[in-house]
Amino acid sequence: MSVSDTIVRWRYRAVPDHLLGELLTKRWMDNAIPLLILTAVVVVFGSAIPDFFGAASLANLARQWGEFSLLVLALMIVVVAGGIDLSVGSTFALGNIVALALLNVAGWSVPAVVAATLACGAGVGLVNGMLVGFLRLRAFLTTLVTLIIVRAVVDMLLLHYSVPIAAAFVDSDAWFYFGEGTVLGIPFSVVVSITLAVAIHLVLTRTRWGWHVLATGSSRRSAHNVGISVRRVICATYVASGTLSALAGLLFASRLGGAGSDTGIGLEIAALTAAVLGGNSLGGGRGSAAKAVIGSITVMIIVNSLVRLGVTSGANSLLLGLVLLVAVAIDVRWLKNRLKVLSKVYVSPTYASLPPAPSTEGASPYALNDRLRSVELVGLGRIDGPEDVILDADDNIYVGNRTGDIVRFFAPDYGRQEIYVHIGGRPLGMAFARDGSLLCCIGGMGLYRVGSDREVEKLTDETNRSWFSLIDDSRLKLADDLDIAPDGRVFFSEATIRYEMHDWPVDCLESRGNGRIICFDPNTGATRTVLKNLVFPNGICMAHDGLSFMFAETWGCRVSRYYFDGPKAGSVEPVIADLPGYPDNINRASDGTYWLALVGMRTPSLDLAMKMPGFRKRMARRTAPDEWLYPNINTGCVIRFDAAGRVLETLWDLGGKNHPMITSMREHKGHLYIGGIFNNRIGRLKLEGADPDWTGPASYWGRA
Amino acid sequence: MIGGLVRVLDNVFGRGEAAVTVPPLDGALRPNRALDEATRRLPLAEVDSVVVAADRLLASAGKEIHVLEGGAWRPFRGYEAEVACLSPVGDGGVAVALATGDIIIEGGRLDGRRYRAADCHCVTAMAVSGSDLFVANGSATNRAADWQLDLLRRNASGSIWRIDCESGRSTQVAGGLGYPAGLVADGGGLVYAEAWKHRLVRMTASDPGKPKILYADIPGYPGRLAASRDGHWLAVFAPRSQIVEFVLREPAYNSRMVAEVPRPYWIAPKLRSGRSFYEPLQGGGVKHLGVLKPWAPTLSAGLCVGLDGNFQPRVSLHSRADGATHGVTAIAEHDGHLFAAARGDGVVVAVPLDRLSADA
Repeated sequence: MSVSDTIVRWRYRAVPDHLLGELLTKRWMDNAIPLLILTAVVVVFGSAIPDFFGAASLANLARQWGEFSLLVLALMIVVVAGGIDLSVGSTFALGNIVALALLNVAGWSVPAVVAATLACGAGVGLVNGMLVGFLRLRAFLTTLVTLIIVRAVVDMLLLHYSVPIAAAFVDSDAWFYFGEGTVLGIPFSVVVSITLAVAIHLVLTRTRWGWHVLATGSSRRSAHNVGISVRRVICATYVASGTLSALAGLLFASRLGGAGSDTGIGLEIAALTAAVLGGNSLGGGRGSAAKAVIGSITVMIIVNSLVRLGVTSGANSLLLGLVLLVAVAIDVRWLKNRLKVLSKVYVSPTYASLPPAPSTEGASPYALNDRLRSVELVGLGRIDGPEDVILDADDNIYVGNRTGDIVRFFAPDYGRQEIYVHIGGRPLGMAFARDGSLLCCIGGMGLYRVGSDREVEKLTDETNRSWFSLIDDSRLKLADDLDIAPDGRVFFSEATIRYEMHDWPVDCLESRGNGRIICFDPNTGATRTVLKNLVFPNGICMAHDGLSFMFAETWGCRVSRYYFDGPKAGSVEPVIADLPGYPDNINRASDGTYWLALVGMRTPSLDLAMKMPGFRKRMARRTAPDEWLYPNINTGCVIRFDAAGRVLETLWDLGGKNHPMITSMREHKGHLYIGGIFNNRIGRLKLEGADPDWTGPASYWGRA
Repeated sequence: MIGGLVRVLDNVFGRGEAAVTVPPLDGALRPNRALDEATRRLPLAEVDSVVVAADRLLASAGKEIHVLEGGAWRPFRGYEAEVACLSPVGDGGVAVALATGDIIIEGGRLDGRRYRAADCHCVTAMAVSGSDLFVANGSATNRAADWQLDLLRRNASGSIWRIDCESGRSTQVAGGLGYPAGLVADGGGLVYAEAWKHRLVRMTASDPGKPKILYADIPGYPGRLAASRDGHWLAVFAPRSQIVEFVLREPAYNSRMVAEVPRPYWIAPKLRSGRSFYEPLQGGGVKHLGVLKPWAPTLSAGLCVGLDGNFQPRVSLHSRADGATHGVTAIAEHDGHLFAAARGDGVVVAVPLDRLSADA
């Protein structure tokens, strides 16, 4: 290996390129920029203002934040449903004056005051909700009008009650606890808003109502089409918003105990800035309580710090406006470009050097021949993509097809066929269990069982999630081939966890160990991953010792053996390390050896490209997928090997007339049955000298 | 300075010069199967040039020239070296260029004369104008058989020479060309096909320093030109493809491929591709249900372009990815037929001309 190859290899071993793309697929990445801004704000003002982190300073800030964050949460709920509520500031002022008037002037009890204030806020929200949700007025204009009307109401109330409010004296510990009390040293208002934030988070992410809100915000029309009552959902968000605003006003009233004409002026802009700065998209559908909290802390710190730095009131608003503008710009650009960036960085090829390919000439065991020329064709043009082929004791052929069926061809002449079962997904590898049921790996779905009564049953579609995997690898994306151990455990391969089935060429471009082998135990119902970081693991076949299985790694061009029981349990041994092509399914042969399908052959140009990950990455970005270099899957062959890894014979179809690519082969009663995932026929080849009575199920489970 | 910066940026973003786009086959170049559906197919292994001289159709293949007689090829004359190209001299004679660089006149007034242009080892095409013989030398460093290497090296070392048929003196009339592979005398000037630059260029005798581009951005590598009834025929010997354009812009891969990968398995345009499973396969070339799609990306194809008097495309004959008439290196009109020499498949196909005009 040359020096430059070594450098490239270590470079790709040291830097996990694929993590960047996986990070970007995460929804919580939306919080990254707001969090960054918050950190910057804390660092800047923390260093600019002496005693910024002092206890008194923080306590003062926290109390104000408690009220402010309620407003931001209120606005967030509306925004996430695709609307906007400008009346939060006025409702806040209304809550303040109503609470004070009821308590100080009317002399109501504290619980009654709380209930009435919240009801008042809810009432304002209901008006907004009726107008915007049911009458379908524009949210912006409607809430602007409510802002003015509610403000006018507040001013009128002030005229009547400001003097009595100021004159009265309230003697209620419960009332003052709202504004000045602490829970375990934390201001009461902070406790309230954090509790509510957690509750709102749970509602939005875990409940039907929350999902309806998010769905409505993401796409009103789609939400309507799936049967969500969009109008009611929108109305409800405004009610929630009004209630929360009034609650904030109530806390404010308790803290300061006074009503002024400037209460809540301009708060809607501050709250809007906070909501957007936190990453809640004004377009709706993207937002969370956490974002509202982050945004409100940021804005709170900015506003207070500017005041403490002596910035005049006008300049303060100006700066806040500018922050809002920048936040909106970032929001729009991020939303627009995130997927573009993702599509550019997700594909991340790695260094994958293959051992030199053995020759296919002369005395090589892989030497070219035409032994597959004499195949009989079964189901020509009547089957679309038989990836795997299997036969039952009555010689009927079962194959999967592209549309998610398992098709049965009837013995003895296979002229008749029927859809045995329809499962969906993409049926791939199959095996017969001891009880005669058919187990099948379904690409895109998982592991399924078809009983002899044609009952379809899902065995598993998830496994244990890896601790350190960024993407959620618990779901099965591409279950590929399986085999069954003598005790009934099912071992199956999942080719890749990073791509869906039809993106397999991209996984080839990457050639990273994205795949794994999983074990399903029918006795306990548990599924767990047994081998990870395999390069597109594909075929699996139980060895004749009952303690181990052979498995093929397609892009790795190798066959290995894994011991799951016995003295060597847990170890992996190479069987064939340097195949001249890309291995697919493995199956037992009648004489104790194994059949292996090579789906395609290695090409020198692609082998070279495998050592140059940068070349492959640029190829993926700049050329169309139809133009990418593929493994040459237009020519395949079948080989037979023994447990020691010796290749005993090779069967070719030169010219690829019937079997350009071969994904599986199954020996049954002296014949070999051949399938290909892009083919439209099944090949049947008479094997000279093979045991004419040997069948797969008998070899596994003994003669019944 | 600015230009360098732009190039660096283009390389990063894959645009401008670094873009790997290939013009689509559209307009007059809309694909068809005309070459594969030809009425007569005349197999001749290694066929390279076809010309008409003294009302006979001559074809070069290997070291020999064959003549078409009674619907079959008959050996006509043999030489000591590979025949590089043929060109009619005008009075029934034919000029034969050998891979060694020697040029021999067969028949006509100058029968038996031998010429040699200084330093020409890669003769790709010839044209006669008056008493001048023009010779296109594809590359200064590579032989014609190494044309793929010349492309991968991104050379532009081709030249055009004029040989005075009377005195035998040769002078260079143009240099620094990207593999001139076709040549035809037209009016007062010379039109040549610059293969690596995918264009036809006119050079006038009066002002040779100012060549004029006639037809740019051809979606293939243009080769020999031949006169037709109302214009010219252009043989496009290989198609351009995104993957090749991409490899051309990847110097590291390109040089390692040339050094480490056997030549038949290069990612490079070919006269015939898809014969061995060691050749590169592209995504669209995967056989589905046993069928190779005609639109599959391919490193070889067959394409004859009919040009009007202004060298603009008017009609085209194709053999697509799944066709059997790839690598058209020369075209000649004879006996009411168009004869296209498909070197990739070792066959000369004949298409009736009247059917073509009906299509156009």
